[in-house]
Amino acid sequence: MLEIATVFDFTRDAVIFAVGVTAVLASLGVILCSSPIYSALYLIGHMICLALLFLLYNAEFLAVVQIIVYAGAVMILFLFIIALLGGKKEVQENSFHRSIAITFVFILLGELCLSATVGPTKQVQGEIPADLFGTAKAIGLELFSKHLVAFELASGLLLVAAVGVICLAKFSFAPLRRRVR
Amino acid sequence: MGEQFVLLISAAIFCVGTAGFVIRKNPLIMFMSVELMLNSVNFLLVTYSSFLNSLDGQIFALMIMAVAAAEVVVGLAIILTIFRTRHDMDVDHIDVLKG
Repeated sequence: MLEIATVFDFTRDAVIFAVGVTAVLASLGVILCSSPIYSALYLIGHMICLALLFLLYNAEFLAVVQIIVYAGAVMILFLFIIALLGGKKEVQENSFHRSIAITFVFILLGELCLSATVGPTKQVQGEIPADLFGTAKAIGLELFSKHLVAFELASGLLLVAAVGVICLAKFSFAPLRRRVR
Repeated sequence: MGEQFVLLISAAIFCVGTAGFVIRKNPLIMFMSVELMLNSVNFLLVTYSSFLNSLDGQIFALMIMAVAAAEVVVGLAIILTIFRTRHDMDVDHIDVLKG
């Protein structure tokens, strides 16, 4: 007879493994599809997988923010732009630069995997009670007490971005001509 | 699931994002690859905040989300402006500033 806690832990590990592998596969789909609309759909799937992982790691507030901000707002913006510009397929050709780039990426992956096997990191003792961890209340308390300046600066950043987009969209520029030598 | 698995998943997503950024020529897909990289870092911050029982990682992830939203909005506006003046979507052809 198995302990109920062992069964629960095993199930949780299996779910985390499945969702994590799905997230990696969806990210591969993003970069391997030749049409941008399929890439956007794969990216939405990737975001939803990450939100599930956030939930499994006790970050329910961030999971909701991930769904609303990323899978909602940002991806809808992407889909609008794709619909506006027309999703043209791009031809993939093999060149020297491309093979250099792929070599670079594999070296990067090897380095990251090496640094992942260094060993356990130093544990710090957190002071958050377990039943409050990751909820909107805990995040709010932390955000408005310890990180108030960063929060206000983030609001300033978003305001500057909004003003910049209005400037970019409102004033139309004359077409650039290639300089004649 | 242990820290090793989380680190490997995050490294894999980050490298896929890097690969997409360097091998694709469509600026929209390049932007999506940047989103992949930011998301992998977010995932690592959230999981380690859970492992270490401290909320600082989640606050940091929230800030990264705000910066990513601002970056996407400005970047897509720039892509739209370039497309309006040039009618071309290949990043290799945009070399006016090269002189």
